[in-house]
Amino acid sequence: MKHIAEGVVGIVLAVVLQTVLGKLSASLLIVFNAFSWVVLYFGLTRHEVLGAFMGTACGLLQDSFSMGVFGVGGLTKTLLGFGAGYISRKINVAPVTRTYVFSLVIAAVELLLWKSLVLFLFGERFSSAGGLILLQPPVTALVVTVAFQVGRRMEARRS
Amino acid sequence: MKEKKRFLLLLGLVFVHLLLISIQVPKGNEPAYFERALFSVFGPVEHGVVSFFRGVKDFWRNYAYSRDVEQQNRSLRDEAFRLRQENLALKNLLLKFQGSKEIQDLLSTVSRSILVASVIGIDPGQIHKSIRLNKGTADGVRRDMVVLNRMGQLVGRIVEPVSSRESRVQLISDEDSGVGVLTERFRVVGILQGDAEGRCRLKYVVKTNREVTVDEEVLTSGLDGIYPSGVPVGRIVSVAEDTDLFKKIVVAPYFDLSDLDQVAVLTADLRGLS
Repeated sequence: MKHIAEGVVGIVLAVVLQTVLGKLSASLLIVFNAFSWVVLYFGLTRHEVLGAFMGTACGLLQDSFSMGVFGVGGLTKTLLGFGAGYISRKINVAPVTRTYVFSLVIAAVELLLWKSLVLFLFGERFSSAGGLILLQPPVTALVVTVAFQVGRRMEARRS
Repeated sequence: MKEKKRFLLLLGLVFVHLLLISIQVPKGNEPAYFERALFSVFGPVEHGVVSFFRGVKDFWRNYAYSRDVEQQNRSLRDEAFRLRQENLALKNLLLKFQGSKEIQDLLSTVSRSILVASVIGIDPGQIHKSIRLNKGTADGVRRDMVVLNRMGQLVGRIVEPVSSRESRVQLISDEDSGVGVLTERFRVVGILQGDAEGRCRLKYVVKTNREVTVDEEVLTSGLDGIYPSGVPVGRIVSVAEDTDLFKKIVVAPYFDLSDLDQVAVLTADLRGLS
């Protein structure tokens, strides 16, 4: 029950962040993807099952706000959440540098997979905004690393 | 949960997504029921967030300045917005009418057809594809209604899903969008299509045509059966030739995503008037 409540809060937070970012500047949406932040964070902290469910929920939500093929974002984000949770259980990603590098790699793979599916399977072009989209994985990794480390420290203090 | 079960769960979720993707194929551009449902459920969340921040902004302004002045300013801004839309539409249309009865009818139709809406969201997948508005079927918004910016320039058209309080607009910069257009000076007709990078391509202008020049204005032709004629769309920024039969013409749309806070939805079909 607690996990479901956390998940719902995470989803609403992602929608709120995405809306605020879009209102500040449209270009920010190319670099910042709040849905990816939430999925990756849940994958790292709650592991693959909740990561995969969060990926499905956030991905489909992102698809419902987009005009692209419904389900593509959901598919790639499900794999992102599951992959992040599964791998982080197998290797220790707790140190800051490892969290960042791991998040960077997995966010880059997700972006590549998503854009490749859109481009090759559905023949839709995507806006690279002069290469600005390449900043999305490093920024996602940075945000997730900060959130993950802050969360860990808060938990350590509590216990 | 055992590892095997976890992988089975992943396979199940992947299967659900593949199913969702494949059931859209016979529907074409029509959104899936599940997509409509998500749009209807989370659209109000977006709507609420935007309203909250607007409320905070207004609250701050009301404290910083005089409350009455701010309210007057706001209503005058809204009025000016509506009048500008009316004025631009009428400028094009009035020239074609002479009888006063016809002019009266026209004035009342145009006045009733402008619905002011706020932009509550931008496509998170591709920002040049679509936007979402805070008006839906309850406000009279329907599919294929034309959307203009505050200067009366073309932004796009309403597409599905449209919920009771929110709607989606396909921008003219979307790759799947098609607008019948013509050039201002020599009336060269073509189809305008987005290039997914915020600009558009004017297609099907043959290579032998020498009348299309850089910096020329592009207007809607009204031939596509959706957009009324004479609406400003953008300006030609480059004309090039390649091995194709047609010219490569790039058009910069007038509307600017960063300046798209309010839009006008034309709730009546003005094509018959133009």
